[in-house]
Amino acid sequence: MGIRALFSQSKLLGVGIGILLFLILIALLQPLINQALIGNVNPVSMGSFTPYEDPSPQHWLGTDRWGRDWLAQLVLGLRYSLVIGALSGGVATFIAILIGFVAGYKGGAWDGSLRTFTDMILVIPSWPILVTLAAYIQGLSIPVMALLLAAFSWPFGMRTIRAQVLSLRAQPYVDLAIVSNLKDLEIIFQELMPNLLPFLGVALASTTVGAIFAETGLELIGLGPGGDIITLGLMVNFSLSWGALALGKVELIFPPVICLILIFVSLNLINMGLEQVFNPRLKRITGG
Amino acid sequence: MKKISVLVYLAKRLGLYAFTIWGAFTIAFMFFHLVPGDPIGAYVRSMEQRGRQIPDAQVLVENYRKMMGLDGNLLQQYLHYLDNVILHFNLGPSFIGFPTPAEKHIFLALPWTVGLLGISTIIAWVLGFILGGIVGWRRDSLFSRVMTNLSLIVSQIPPYFIALALLFTFSYTLVWLPRRGAFDAAIPKGFTWEFIKSVIRYGTLPALSLVLFSMFGWLISTRSIVVSILGEDYLIYARAKGLPEGRILRSYVLRNAMLPQVTGLAMSLGFVLNGALLVEMLFNYPGLGSLFRDTIGLLDYNTVQGIMLMSIVTVLTATLLIDLLLPLVDPRVARESKS
Repeated sequence: MGIRALFSQSKLLGVGIGILLFLILIALLQPLINQALIGNVNPVSMGSFTPYEDPSPQHWLGTDRWGRDWLAQLVLGLRYSLVIGALSGGVATFIAILIGFVAGYKGGAWDGSLRTFTDMILVIPSWPILVTLAAYIQGLSIPVMALLLAAFSWPFGMRTIRAQVLSLRAQPYVDLAIVSNLKDLEIIFQELMPNLLPFLGVALASTTVGAIFAETGLELIGLGPGGDIITLGLMVNFSLSWGALALGKVELIFPPVICLILIFVSLNLINMGLEQVFNPRLKRITGG
Repeated sequence: MKKISVLVYLAKRLGLYAFTIWGAFTIAFMFFHLVPGDPIGAYVRSMEQRGRQIPDAQVLVENYRKMMGLDGNLLQQYLHYLDNVILHFNLGPSFIGFPTPAEKHIFLALPWTVGLLGISTIIAWVLGFILGGIVGWRRDSLFSRVMTNLSLIVSQIPPYFIALALLFTFSYTLVWLPRRGAFDAAIPKGFTWEFIKSVIRYGTLPALSLVLFSMFGWLISTRSIVVSILGEDYLIYARAKGLPEGRILRSYVLRNAMLPQVTGLAMSLGFVLNGALLVEMLFNYPGLGSLFRDTIGLLDYNTVQGIMLMSIVTVLTATLLIDLLLPLVDPRVARESKS
């Protein structure tokens, strides 16, 4: 299906991808943007400027408690948040594909037990467990954190994959492939995968939302990779701990919040858009 | 025939409950004993990092290990753990209020969390369900379109952020509602109207954050279910019978929408609890969330583990209760479980 046709079929998809691409663009251009904003200064090094400055032409969002340009950190934080989200989302989608595929393809007892297992993970509140693990693991690096986040977000993508594998498996061309003596693996890669791609996109978007949600939850309590790595959630945590609410310094709190909301909204729109386009039954239901 | 199938359903459900709790406790145990970073060592290290020298640290560590049942090989620890936690609710002494047992702190905080969670969830579900039904029933009205778009936006904002916005507007800018705590400390505790009014007043913003987030989500899902029901044959039948529209909406459409939504409610509780704990932290509401924040910084192992387990048990129990009510909502559930 052509890209242009894709967008014309779903406004939601277009808007979602648009917002996401815009954010990714900012994140990719981060070094250039920060160069333009504050020159060669490292955004996270303390004492670069005077602390608690109000928004001005030099510092559009002012400076924070340690004299760092807030807008520069916002751009850097956006980049790190997206990187961690993408990494965890990727790992989580991989796990979701594995489990969803086995459940959908094998069916029977495999399906039943895997579904129950997935439901159990979905029901259990993940935040206390995540926080406890993050607090006790010494030296939380980005890859380890991504793994932790992925461990709890993969169920969000598993259902989509499983549902699609189930419906695809029932298609006549699969029986044809089985009859023509193609091995299981060949069937999977040659027949099923191409049709699965848009739903992999849905799974990726769902798991990434879950991962960034969880990551924000960790950062809000101050548990993250730390060090020089600043993320949007950490910025919210910092600004609250500096009493930004009481001081009325909304320019410190709300920009990272808005960025995070934009990330969630764009991913969800992409989800809804993809389902609208590729799941025609759903299209009638949501009244598009 | 019907009685037996309901009993089978109940038995299956209770079995799953017990199994899941056992599974969660076992996995929690494994995480903490197999993950590198033994809790006592971590605590001692963090103290030393803060510049506190601990003489005879080894002796201290050994003593703590014995007290918290960390000695012995893995299997012994596991059995000791199961025995303590499940049979006696004994989580051991907590660090922050040594030697007060950890479970005492937890049981003091638990009612606030359960109350906040319970009330917000029920209000959100009921309002979301009813509004979703109306919006799905009359899809083309201006009200429906406005509500749908509003819901699409608000349901994607995490409750913590909604809480921030509410806190800023109503506590700091307008100073209409208090910003922390669960009740006015000046009023003596008891079942007096004064005290209850204060509890409601202090609980408004935390509850509102959770309600706003969940309610719009329920609105959207109910709406899509109602829209899918609109094409069903039995609606044509109902109309042919000459039933009034309101009656059709209530008895035919909403009644069928209830089952998936009640099931969905059970599935969403873990997620809502996550949000509730974070919101509690923001408002310093004296529930499990604030207790968690206080103890995690100190690496108070017993309490932290206890809160984690308590959260899991709370959600699983609430899910069980809802699932037990399911046959009342839709008798088909009990019948289908036979296959």
